[in-house]
Amino acid sequence: MLALQAKDLVVGARIDGAMVPAIRALSFDLPPGKILGLVGESGAGKSMVGRAIAQLLPAGFEITSGSLLFEGEDLVRMAPSARRALLGRAIAFIPQAPMTSLNPVRTIGAQFDEHLARLGERSRSARRDRAVAMLTTARLPRAGELLTQYPHQLSGGMCQRVLIALAFSSNPRLVIADEPTTALDVTMHPPILALIADMQRRHGTAVIFITHDLRLAAQLCDQVTVMYAGRAVESGPARAVLSTPAHPYTRCLQLANPSMRAERRSLYVMPDQMPSLRQLRHLPGCHFAPRCPLVAQECRRDEPPNMAIAADHHVACIRAAATRTIATTAGDSVAAGAAWRPLLQVEGLQKRYDVGGGLFAGARSIAAVKQATFSIAENEFVALVGESGSGKSTIAKMLVGLEQPSAGKILLDGEDLTVASLRCRARNAASLQMVFQDPQSALNPRRRVASIVTQAMEAGSRHANWDERLARTRELLAEVGLSTDFAARLPGQLSGGQRQRINIARALCTLPKILVADEIVSGLDVSIQAQLLNLLARLRAELGFAMLFISHDLSVVRHLCSRVLVMYGGEIVEEGAVEKVFADPQHAHTRELLSSVPPDEPEAAWPPLQGNAS
Amino acid sequence: MTATVLKLIACRLLAAIPILLIVSALLFCILRLLPVDPAAMSLPPNATIEEVEAKRREMGLDKPLPQQYVIWLTDALHGDFGRSIALRRDAGSLVAATLPATIQLAACAMAIAAVLGLGGGLILFRLRGTPFEPVADLASIVLLSIPEFLWGLILLFVFGVMLQWLPFTGQVSPGLPLPHITGFLLLDSLLVGRMDVFLSACQHLLLPAVALGLAFSPTIMRVLRSSLFDVYLEDYIQQARLRGLSERHVLLSHALKNASLPTLTLAGVQFGILFSGTLLVEVIYSYPGMGNLMVDAVRNADLPLIQTVGLTYCIVVLLINTAVDSLYVVLNPKLRVR
Amino acid sequence: MASAVFRSLHSPRVLIALGMISCIAFCAVFAGWIAPHDPGDQNLLAILQPPAWAGGGDLNYPLGTDSLGRCVLSRLIFGARTAMLVALFASLGAMIIGTILAHVSGYFGGAVDWIIGRLVDVWMSFPPVILSLILMVGLGVGLSKVILAIVLVDWTRFCRVLRSEVLIVTRHDYVAAARLLGFSHWQTIVREVLPATTPLLITLISLEMAIAVVVEAILSFIGLGVGANTPAWGQMIADARQYVYQSPWNLLLPIFAIFLTVTAFNLLGDGLRRTLDVRLAETGR
Repeated sequence: MLALQAKDLVVGARIDGAMVPAIRALSFDLPPGKILGLVGESGAGKSMVGRAIAQLLPAGFEITSGSLLFEGEDLVRMAPSARRALLGRAIAFIPQAPMTSLNPVRTIGAQFDEHLARLGERSRSARRDRAVAMLTTARLPRAGELLTQYPHQLSGGMCQRVLIALAFSSNPRLVIADEPTTALDVTMHPPILALIADMQRRHGTAVIFITHDLRLAAQLCDQVTVMYAGRAVESGPARAVLSTPAHPYTRCLQLANPSMRAERRSLYVMPDQMPSLRQLRHLPGCHFAPRCPLVAQECRRDEPPNMAIAADHHVACIRAAATRTIATTAGDSVAAGAAWRPLLQVEGLQKRYDVGGGLFAGARSIAAVKQATFSIAENEFVALVGESGSGKSTIAKMLVGLEQPSAGKILLDGEDLTVASLRCRARNAASLQMVFQDPQSALNPRRRVASIVTQAMEAGSRHANWDERLARTRELLAEVGLSTDFAARLPGQLSGGQRQRINIARALCTLPKILVADEIVSGLDVSIQAQLLNLLARLRAELGFAMLFISHDLSVVRHLCSRVLVMYGGEIVEEGAVEKVFADPQHAHTRELLSSVPPDEPEAAWPPLQGNAS
Repeated sequence: MTATVLKLIACRLLAAIPILLIVSALLFCILRLLPVDPAAMSLPPNATIEEVEAKRREMGLDKPLPQQYVIWLTDALHGDFGRSIALRRDAGSLVAATLPATIQLAACAMAIAAVLGLGGGLILFRLRGTPFEPVADLASIVLLSIPEFLWGLILLFVFGVMLQWLPFTGQVSPGLPLPHITGFLLLDSLLVGRMDVFLSACQHLLLPAVALGLAFSPTIMRVLRSSLFDVYLEDYIQQARLRGLSERHVLLSHALKNASLPTLTLAGVQFGILFSGTLLVEVIYSYPGMGNLMVDAVRNADLPLIQTVGLTYCIVVLLINTAVDSLYVVLNPKLRVR
Repeated sequence: MASAVFRSLHSPRVLIALGMISCIAFCAVFAGWIAPHDPGDQNLLAILQPPAWAGGGDLNYPLGTDSLGRCVLSRLIFGARTAMLVALFASLGAMIIGTILAHVSGYFGGAVDWIIGRLVDVWMSFPPVILSLILMVGLGVGLSKVILAIVLVDWTRFCRVLRSEVLIVTRHDYVAAARLLGFSHWQTIVREVLPATTPLLITLISLEMAIAVVVEAILSFIGLGVGANTPAWGQMIADARQYVYQSPWNLLLPIFAIFLTVTAFNLLGDGLRRTLDVRLAETGR
């Protein structure tokens, strides 16, 4: 009997009084003990599947037809009490945000105890022993002590281990893991994934693994289903789908992802973005048609049928035969630093924060940046990589003057920016600008786009008139590939990718010589990320500027930058040309970072998951 | 862990001391800068200018202000708060005689406010998404708009004057004895075994305490509800549901404790204000507490008494705030364990 | 911002509240024209008369007379003028002081924030009723004194609530971005921070007006308010309390007037909070 079987599942969303399918006709079979990957970009409807299983859908969403058979019983038509009895027993969930998924005012022990008591364990000491045993199998050291601790005393990775232990403590037959590593640091990804795979094997559990990462799905899953705008566009054995993608979307997505090992190539750029639920109402035919390179007349008219192209490999596309022909040109986005003249020199930069200092505790000093020395040449893109808390963002803030360094020099064209008299903002503003990580927070929701991108023109005592500003807005919008219509919009009316373009346009308004970009593509989907990476490469060629590109994603860094600085614990531990550092990493942390990226080729072995296959 | 909590509570108490000093100094300054001459007031109206001057020197009013404050502070630390000009009695003992009655009233009102506030907040929250929600919400705004002194008058009118169910002046019915052991009448009457006095005191306490409690419960109600709304957006609530816990269990053992933290912060401020709210209710019900003493002192411009009573109010409010702060520390593991 | 204010006019709460406030404000502004009598005119031949509809009522005094034979309706109407003047000017005054300090404190942080924070702490350890009584002792009675006392007591309410909002807004990257683009501190506060805190500000003013009406009534009730010659609702209550058995209406009518006014301002505040999407932990009284 199948662990879970979805038959023509439709989840509708009520939008302006009409029902729009957020998931349409989704079918899949999940045998016991297998892992099914649900892959797609945000808005594809993949998380909705997990919520539909628990029937805890967001307000306005409901299952309109179809069935979800859990071991033969239909979860959709089951009495709520019977379904709730399954949750936490036969069906368990691993959440996306481990830090906020444990109750902050109760100890780990209390939350474990509550769960085990519900599972029917009467004796308190037996519950404690079981909790310790489960935490130990989740590779948490000192489990007994851990039970008395609160979630805020644990790291994100530890919280996720606790939640995995909780999920598997009832020997569930089905576990739904919704992007379980997305909120964690990259170096935490391999051990957490290995733990889930290990627990899955040990308990023989069927797992639905929801992810946006094709490469990861290929490594971890037996089967994958690729979703686009609420539809399963392709499904089949994980490695087959990745090595011979049949749907144009799967192929494009693969080509939009920067590669870690192959020759550098330009990224495949799909135009626009995934249609929103609102747009789906007026979109007949194949949902991918507006962005598809193979689109034919009939694609826009009729919804494509689901066709088998091999045993167990299905695709919803009438032009699947031509998918192989989609390709990108080999090209190098990394411009060689021509005249190697240092533009920005950072020498012995340090930043210490004083913490504590209460009535009974003396003030302690914590070094966010212990020692940083590097330089950036004109027109050079330098990457700064490292985990959260390694001091990357602090360096960015010191460079642009939002934080004052405790020691060290920042020389721009030979002038020291840390000297008070040179801290003059107007001068810095012209030559050094920052693109912020979160475009939602970086754009004033009350200003219109034209006012945001030309904000530099109203600074200080400058009073540019509105015509000048509009003219500049048109230029800047053209630079970042947006039409002039955007000038009058508010940030709330833009998508994430569009906001980030506005964010970049604002920084470019004064034609700075150097940009500091803090994780500017990390929150974005692969197809949007590819658009922005290509945009940055093009802007460098057209305008000529240097950039300090802060990121945790090594494949993006490899694609865009020529040199890399690796930070660990407030220090730059490794530095060099990207090719050289990635091919022959010297520092242990660089090796750890490199091994946390799954390989491009689905057949290649990924050591973290192999190590536990016993 | 207990050591950490005690340490944090000690910190809070120590932090209250400089605030208390500044408060007392401010109080002292405000009252000294008044266009009222305490020396002239404490003498008969026909006193000569020389007599007034002599009195001023005797009271230390000719010295510079900081020096006067230090003298006053030293006296106060020795338990001497000066003499009431109008009542010609020691201000400290006047306050000591009336403070227990006020505390008794405030404590009962706080209990009523807390019970009504928490119960009402839970009911308001459970009504979310039902057709009753807007009605209940509107009702809570209307309730919020009735301050304690209007409640006092309305209850007095309805239950005292119209229905004549309950007495509305004083602390006990006239003719009954007032036992004095601790100063808290409810306690004292039980200690001497006078049930009739105890019952009469309860009857007299009921209207003023309910008036105060009613006035302060809507705020607690609304804060608890909005805190619960916030907590229900958190991931751990969804995760608890995904573990199969019932809605009731999620509310009582996961959401309520988290929602109680912001509620408690506000309730602390509210209880401080509630304590000073006793003043009006005491005036309305002629209840012999510190409030009536204060109002009389204000009407007579009786500076030493105003100063002593005002400072007492501040001290009690500071103590309430410190107690609530400490409770917050005990309930919030993020502050308790690091 | 303008569109948000316009949008709030579609909220039934805001509309009802504005309607009530307009009526009261109309009474306040045109008190001299609509009141049937001078509020101070005593008619010792007709004291403690019941309202016109009750037995023994007189149409000349639609809502009856008080213990000195003054027209209750006229005193209520002129009392509205006192209440509205206090509500308007006291809340504006408290708003100006509180807002400036809150923005300076929340935006600059550091030592400035610490000093203003401690100032608010000290101020708030005075219970509001006690502090306003003591201030009234010092200032003496009168309309402007009542306004001043309320401003001096209640600026902390604005300061505390707005400061935490300023802290939240300042943490947004767009405020840092404005600085990087060359904005001065003053420009950043006025053009980036203030527009974001304005919805909260408007909501707080509305709630503060409700509080000011109550405080004025309390002070007048105790006899330390606007003074005996200015009609005020609190004073009417204090007078009527002594004759509650003879003339209950004299007590109930001003109570109802205060209740109506306070409800109107609270309703407006709540409606604005919802439509302007303000996150506001209740501030209480």
